[in-house]
Amino acid sequence: MDAISVEKLTKKYGDNEVLKGVNLKVAEGEFYALMGPNGSGKTTLAAIIVSVRSPTSGKIEIYGKKPENAKELIGYVPQENFSSPNLTGKENLMYFAGLLGYSKNTSEKTVNELLKKIGLSEDADKRVINYSGGMRKKLEVATALFPGIKILILDEPTTGLDPSARRKFLGLIQELRKDKATVLLITHIGADAELASRVGLIDEGKIIAEDEPERLKKASDLKDVINIETTIKSEKVAEILSKFSEKKKVLETDVGYRVYCENVEVAAPEIVRSLDAIGCKATKIETEKPSLEDVFFKLTEKMVREVS
Amino acid sequence: MGQITATLGKTIKEFLRQKTILFWTIAWPILWVLIGSFSFVGNAPSEVVSYIRGAIAISMSVFALMTAGMANLPGNIAQDRERGLLSKLMSMPINPWRDFVGRILALLAFSSLAAILVTLVGYGCGARFSYSPIGLLQSIGFLLLIALASAGIGMLIGTLIKHVHGAIMSGVGIAVVTAAISGVMTPYSSLPWLLQQFARIYPISSSSSSITFLLVGEDYAGYNPLSANQTTLTIVISLLLFIGGLVAYSRFCWRKE
Repeated sequence: MDAISVEKLTKKYGDNEVLKGVNLKVAEGEFYALMGPNGSGKTTLAAIIVSVRSPTSGKIEIYGKKPENAKELIGYVPQENFSSPNLTGKENLMYFAGLLGYSKNTSEKTVNELLKKIGLSEDADKRVINYSGGMRKKLEVATALFPGIKILILDEPTTGLDPSARRKFLGLIQELRKDKATVLLITHIGADAELASRVGLIDEGKIIAEDEPERLKKASDLKDVINIETTIKSEKVAEILSKFSEKKKVLETDVGYRVYCENVEVAAPEIVRSLDAIGCKATKIETEKPSLEDVFFKLTEKMVREVS
Repeated sequence: MGQITATLGKTIKEFLRQKTILFWTIAWPILWVLIGSFSFVGNAPSEVVSYIRGAIAISMSVFALMTAGMANLPGNIAQDRERGLLSKLMSMPINPWRDFVGRILALLAFSSLAAILVTLVGYGCGARFSYSPIGLLQSIGFLLLIALASAGIGMLIGTLIKHVHGAIMSGVGIAVVTAAISGVMTPYSSLPWLLQQFARIYPISSSSSSITFLLVGEDYAGYNPLSANQTTLTIVISLLLFIGGLVAYSRFCWRKE
């Protein structure tokens, strides 16, 4: 039986159709990542699965039950930091234990085990306002790990975390996978999605591709990627770089551009020379294998992440 | 530990650990009791000074209840919505009514604490009350009506105003303005005719006058608010405000979009 089954799901807000007939199946114990840009409908899809929003049409089943009858099986971690900053980490978890009907003694034992599992035992009595972003997110994930919960739904859990906190947090998710929990990760970060056993790419309310991360990359037929940091970012620079890129597609990043090449060794020196000619210096050039964000870009000509 | 106890514990800890809430709900009314007890009684005959101080302590206790219900409660609701807690709760197998009861019990407990502290400071400043055991029980009943009416207004604010600061400031604004124009902070007799009519309809003001009537005397209440019609009106409007707030909160805050 599938842990999550979604068929022909639509969601409209007035005339705006946010989800357009989404089909999604997540098997028990699977780690599935749903990756797409802001506004693609991924958070709405998660909110419908966890009964926070209602669909316009379509069918959703959680272990064969309607979502509103399967709430005890789902641990949902919304994007926002929902823990109370004025309570301690332990008090926050005790609150959720109380909501779930645990007795005081059982709460104490279960909460201590959860704190140990997420590595916050030593900080359990500190108020959450004094936690780092990563500690707070771990605490919030713990609210979705009470015994009996079978599906963990994480909405953009690493947004706003620094790289070190992000790595530690993803390490925790990998650890949780050992307990055979089903995980649905909503993200716009390719590196996070690559940890999943299967990835769905969502754009404009539709899942446009779905497979194992490596197979998605292979199917995209992308060769190598040159990651280039430049002293200037302009349309002229992008135009020059596009001449070296497959199908003239260049992805603008926070610090420069990503160029999709057939032959990196030939293209890289040419790129440096061409940029020099217009007075733009390439401050850093790296070659990389294509990421899921590149795959998304190839399929949609859109970036998953906004450039700041 | 049930859902109600969990929500009660969490909400009251949040109230007690936020300095701004403690200041505006407890410290601010106490400050006014201190100022009022020594500044506003200068020309009064010595035999009535302690009763004027009693009336001041009552009005500031009422103001503490108003702030708790109209500003702290909507602030707490808006905060839980803004930080995604309401979404989290909606995804869990819990009953919205129990969440509501937990919040209201926390509010009542916190309001009681605030009212007791303000009254004790008033007593320490020389406020004196003349009351019978029945009068004291009736006063507690009117205090409960004030708390319920304030909570009703607070739930309406918390439902309609999405942002935390907007909800808190709206609540403080409504509490201050209505307290000023309805005779909670000013003597009823000094109000113009139109505002006197408002003071009789506004259940927080009429309950406040009832408590003053019961614990200090008719002269300080300005009119007899304990007539059958007036008391019925006070109870009915208080309950209507509370039920209105409750319906708005349960229908709109917990509604699936």
